[in-house]
Amino acid sequence: MLWVALELPALPLQIAERAGASSDALVISEGTAQRPIVSCANAEAKAAGVREGQAVAAAKALAGELRVIARDPAAERETLEGLAAWAGQFTPMVAVEAQGIVLEIESSLRLFNGHAQLTAAILRGIRNLGFHAAIGVAPTALAARIIARAEAQGLQVRSCLTVEELRSRLAELPLFLFDWPEATLARLTDLGVLRVKDILELPAEGIARRFGPEIVLALDRLVGLQCDPRVPYVPPPRFRSRIELPAEADGVEALLFPLRRLLVQFEGYARGRGAGAQRLSLTLEHGRKSRTHLGIDFASPEREADFIISIAREKLGRLKLASPTIALALRVDALLAYTPRTAAWLPGAQEQAIGRERLLERLAARLGRERVFGIAVASDHRPESNWGRIHDSGFGAPPQTPASATPGPRPIWLLNRPQHLISDSGTPRLQGHLDLAAGPERIEAGWWDGKEVSRDYYIALNPHGERYWIYREHRDPDGWYLHGVFA
Amino acid sequence: MKSAVKERVAALARLPGVWRGGELENAVHPAVATGHAALDRELPGGGWPTGTLSEVLHDGVGIGEVAFLANALARASEGDRLVAWINAPHLPYAPALAQAGIALERCLVVRPANREDALWAAEQAMRSGACGAVLLWFGLRQAQARAERNDYASMRRLQMAAEAGRAMAVCFRSTQAEALSTPAHLRIVAFREDGVLKIRIPKRRGPPLVTPVPISALGYRARKVETARVPLHAVPSPRSFAFTVS
Repeated sequence: MLWVALELPALPLQIAERAGASSDALVISEGTAQRPIVSCANAEAKAAGVREGQAVAAAKALAGELRVIARDPAAERETLEGLAAWAGQFTPMVAVEAQGIVLEIESSLRLFNGHAQLTAAILRGIRNLGFHAAIGVAPTALAARIIARAEAQGLQVRSCLTVEELRSRLAELPLFLFDWPEATLARLTDLGVLRVKDILELPAEGIARRFGPEIVLALDRLVGLQCDPRVPYVPPPRFRSRIELPAEADGVEALLFPLRRLLVQFEGYARGRGAGAQRLSLTLEHGRKSRTHLGIDFASPEREADFIISIAREKLGRLKLASPTIALALRVDALLAYTPRTAAWLPGAQEQAIGRERLLERLAARLGRERVFGIAVASDHRPESNWGRIHDSGFGAPPQTPASATPGPRPIWLLNRPQHLISDSGTPRLQGHLDLAAGPERIEAGWWDGKEVSRDYYIALNPHGERYWIYREHRDPDGWYLHGVFA
Repeated sequence: MKSAVKERVAALARLPGVWRGGELENAVHPAVATGHAALDRELPGGGWPTGTLSEVLHDGVGIGEVAFLANALARASEGDRLVAWINAPHLPYAPALAQAGIALERCLVVRPANREDALWAAEQAMRSGACGAVLLWFGLRQAQARAERNDYASMRRLQMAAEAGRAMAVCFRSTQAEALSTPAHLRIVAFREDGVLKIRIPKRRGPPLVTPVPISALGYRARKVETARVPLHAVPSPRSFAFTVS
């Protein structure tokens, strides 16, 4: 087994600053409401002299403008679970820990070309999500966590891949990295037992008697003498994620960066489940009550963050936002099977089809679905009903019925509705006197559905050489109409 | 010495984008035959260029300004690529396109609400590589005349997009645009004279073509039809026929 532990130091602060670092001093408070203390502080606050463990009142005195956010353990847990769901793309065995997550990666090594590549990919992904994490790699989960914690504290530890070298790698690490009770750690310090190598030399019975059997169990698990089973995290069937903006965002451009983080998280989550989504719901929160909902729909399941953001950008660009946005939430209710796109040697038919699909999505996202369509021939004799629009998924399919040859020449442009032409002494005019060049072609149909037409169609030429498709109502010899243009 | 220089110049003229003043460029991208031999002879590469923007200037809708490209469009859509009709002045009429041999299932009609959207859609379509041909209109006649101001920048964007997507990109503008400079590699003027569609080429990669080329296949000469004397019941109507049977 090979474990990767990700430790997120100052997690509440990371959550608060995920959508972008704020330029003001910021602290996270915890403890009783009467005397809150600083749990973690950002760089600006630290520069002003704020230290962890200080009273918030003292911190406020030190830094003039101080933003204080109360610690929210539920949000932290939720964030870690979100991270675990995202990490499901690397391995099915992901467990949520107190300050981070652990992943079992041995079975995924071949897929990701070794642990170096895999850990690099994980760290890159974490950065794209807007977090930073210390990473530890070790053959036991506990050792990996200790190594990650040591790294978060700034200690130099090399990751280790085999159980044999585990003891020597861990030997110099201080014992305060373990989450043992304060009292135990204090007594160990009093005894002069400060490092891992010190405690590993002591007899197990003695430790068990003085400090409790759980310490012995932890040490056995650390070096791999006892198994350390963990329950893999099972992500919920629906995706939910929310991100708060560091400051009120007025425009839409400012939303793209945090949105990207949400979409990267969704991509990891969907990848882990081999799924994609056809509909994503995005909510822009403006205040307590006011929010804007935006649905992003696709013709086929999608999950790639880069592509979704390009569509979302167009959709967001159309929005008129009345008030500034303070938070973004992404929700996906239905996951569908996703077929990954295969790469080919040369751009072939498949790439073309993808390019086409993506183009249609993009056009429809900005212009609206009704403004982008395909056309087809329908079997009818009436010019206005012998063609049809094809929207969305029907587009690009080969025609069901082979187009029957239309008897006469047909114009390239058809008017939306026929335009009445003025006529003088029985001949129609359109920018000059119209000469009838060909015709008549009688079209008489539609008595069965109430939209009956009975017309004589002609091809007409005006003095400028423009050719039109005009008709005369059968029942009204002076009723000349323009119906098409031979462009 | 002299022959060495000549050889070098000849080698230079073979480079893409380099041509002698009096000759046509050897087109880098494959050109699509328009089906009109006289026109193809005058176009660099022997056909309508792909992978670059071209302009068709015309006044008046209905002189056959689209129809003369029908062959080229049918060929550009080969290999399952789309033909995008962006902001066309009217609806492209499916039966007519089918008659012209353009595969309907590959026709994409885009009707943007305004000029910005039209330019954006055209750029997306050209850049995507999914389109074999992209046809763009800027608007109806009156609006077009107003808008034919200098928009070199947006045309330049389209030109770049066309190069990226290797599409046959055609922009239809009014002849007022002839006074404006263009980044397009080809600009032709279509007009009708004596009932025949003729084409002049003010800009191409080669010397400008002053003598217009007639496009004969589309020469619908006016044939007088005596409308007033066509009796309205001369053509049997299907309905009355149905009545006699029953």
